[in-house]
Amino acid sequence: MKHLPLWRHELRRAGWTACAAPAAALAATLALTATAAAFGTPRPQLERILLTGLEALIPLSAGMAAVAVVSHDPSRELQLTLPTPYTTTLGRRLAVLGILSAALSIALSAALAVGGWWNGPGLPYAPLVWAAPLLWLTGLALLVAALGRSVVLATTTVAAVWLGEQLFAASFATTPGLRPFFLFMTTRIGVPTDWNANRAALATSGALLAALALILLRRPERLLTEEET
Amino acid sequence: MDIQISGLRRTFGKVTALDGLDLTVPGGMYGLLGTNGAGKTTLMRVLAGVLPPTAGTVRVGGHDLATRTGRLAVQRRLGYLPQDLGLYPDLSAQEFLDYVGLLKGLDDTAARRRQIGELLDMVGLADAATRKLRGFSGGMRRRVGIAQALLGDPALVVVDEPTAGLDPEERIRFRTLLASIAAGRTVLLSTHIVEDVAQTCRDTAVMARGRVVFNGPVADIVQRAEGVTWELVGQGPPATGVVVSAVSRSDGTHYRLVSSSRPDPRAVPVQPSLEEGYVALMHAGTNG
Amino acid sequence: MTTVRQTWAVTRYEFRMQVRKRSLWITTATLAVVLTLTQGDRGPRHLPLGTPPREVMAGWALLMSILLPIGFGMVLADRLTRDRRLGLASLLESLPTGRGALAAGKYLGGLTSTAVPAALVLLTAAAGETAHRHDPALFAWAAVAFAVITLPGLAFVAAFALVCPLLTTAPLFRVLFVGYWFWGNMLNPDLFPSLTGTLLTPLGDYPASWLMGERALYAGTDGWLEFLRPEPGGATAVVAIALLLVLSLPPLALAPPLLRRRNLSA
Repeated sequence: MKHLPLWRHELRRAGWTACAAPAAALAATLALTATAAAFGTPRPQLERILLTGLEALIPLSAGMAAVAVVSHDPSRELQLTLPTPYTTTLGRRLAVLGILSAALSIALSAALAVGGWWNGPGLPYAPLVWAAPLLWLTGLALLVAALGRSVVLATTTVAAVWLGEQLFAASFATTPGLRPFFLFMTTRIGVPTDWNANRAALATSGALLAALALILLRRPERLLTEEET
Repeated sequence: MDIQISGLRRTFGKVTALDGLDLTVPGGMYGLLGTNGAGKTTLMRVLAGVLPPTAGTVRVGGHDLATRTGRLAVQRRLGYLPQDLGLYPDLSAQEFLDYVGLLKGLDDTAARRRQIGELLDMVGLADAATRKLRGFSGGMRRRVGIAQALLGDPALVVVDEPTAGLDPEERIRFRTLLASIAAGRTVLLSTHIVEDVAQTCRDTAVMARGRVVFNGPVADIVQRAEGVTWELVGQGPPATGVVVSAVSRSDGTHYRLVSSSRPDPRAVPVQPSLEEGYVALMHAGTNG
Repeated sequence: MTTVRQTWAVTRYEFRMQVRKRSLWITTATLAVVLTLTQGDRGPRHLPLGTPPREVMAGWALLMSILLPIGFGMVLADRLTRDRRLGLASLLESLPTGRGALAAGKYLGGLTSTAVPAALVLLTAAAGETAHRHDPALFAWAAVAFAVITLPGLAFVAAFALVCPLLTTAPLFRVLFVGYWFWGNMLNPDLFPSLTGTLLTPLGDYPASWLMGERALYAGTDGWLEFLRPEPGGATAVVAIALLLVLSLPPLALAPPLLRRRNLSA
């Protein structure tokens, strides 16, 4: 509990973008579902839209917000001289983002299950619907941000991958080399036999990408350029 | 906490910021003078563990800054005020210090709060403790900066250009504050303002082009200008030498300048000031 | 005349600052290469020899419009908000240049600086196709495709990408922009009520349909807001271009008061 005050500070430092992005994704999901319902969209379709919010929109918002969390800090030079490693501080801020995204995702999943709108895998596996793509997109965003030192590059990469997987979903579903990294398997295909393997591949490679990014960010000079290049 | 630097090089691509720098800093208040671009900020960042050296060794209190453990050991006993300290505008002074205190490992809440109160009092911000930092003036921000540097009672305090942009009263106040904290610790004051070093430090180093060109008592800098400082009354500056001041009076403009040879037959030698000593040092071999 | 001169000055320097951004070029090049390599059998690279050059270059322009504007939106998202972060807001407020001239100059500078790499991509595609198809007219049609497919969409994206972050912050805008791009351009209206296939899609499928002589992507496909989904053709292509340009104006009109609010807030 001695670190509780520090976590409170890091919640504020993560910024309102980090807090608002997953909430905005959730609100967008609900708004889209309500709009679709108003246009007489059948129930299975509505259930799929709700699941898309979990599997696609919340992970997208988390990936983009992660770039914002690591890319701007007015006190960065001071932070780099403190005995608490700056990567630990960034890790805490990213954890805040992860916890907020997870909390909203769990709340939405629970609400869907209670209301009979859940159309995903068995509930014990429900967290993997959003956690695996969230980890992968966030890891990718962080790695590109650390390598390129550019918000534009990182956010565009995340956006392009996300859109690319949406547009070429069929290719991802049928190409053996791409299938383990298909972010939207639940909403586009369902829960096939290799669903667990897909989620495991995404989660593992996502954690690896994030770890690589944090290792790169341990070189302080990589962080000292504030202005976008 | 002494600092020993030997053959320190730091490059950024093709630019060499520190070029084989040697320096020993004992305890107490120590000045580091130099023009803009001399490499002072890079040296401060190396000492604070922000930038690793490209070559050479830096030992602070016996800890080697080239190693991670050495850097961490120094950072545990370091207070650092960067040249451009960005503050979180949504925090109050008290909250900002609380946050930095936590990151410095001051986990005992009561002790941390007590220390924050004392420091805010010391820097004259007790009345503004709960005000948001976004409304603070430049001087107030700098005082928050020195308060955060002193959190945790550091043995080494590194301050980079702390008085740049401050009004005269705030500058004097800040200098006095720095001098008062030097007892029992090392305070390294980096600045391009000669007056700040003259008023607070007994010893100083002077940097130029990434090297130390002088290291010793501040008073010795004056000697560098003896015999090369001149005064001249005329309508325009002389063709040779470095003009240090120009005062317009009824009989013409009085120029004080540094030049290794008499710049004009009418020029008369005068007793140099510290600023003229600094100019003579920086232009050694290049003027007149 | 002074306002025009000031706008021109802002435009020139905004353009210079933007085209020097490493990330603009890396992003454009990466997206262009990825789209070229992943276009599939129905992409313009695989059109049979003898296909009219206007169809070939319309195909390339449409292909690039799928993702390139995403990168450009990301690049432009902080151009109006960054002045305060860089400490320039007070200086800019103190200048005789009006906020309108500033916003207009930043818009035009941002638009031209993103149009240059977009145009280069199309010219490169035209060069590649010319080597294959031996028809120099491809270059002329690349210019036409750029003017009617790429540029209007870019004008629309630039206006919103510059101004919306003044309301939402740049990071949040970037999230919303990706969602909008998918919903407004590529989400089949059969699956969900979307703007895809309407006259309002910055993807440029109406002008592309006109150049190709057949329905491109979703242009005019049945769905929500039927009155915005006329049959593709020359006249509807002109209407689509005009609508995109007109829709770029409201955010630009809002820019000066939003800038004032942002720059003058503590």
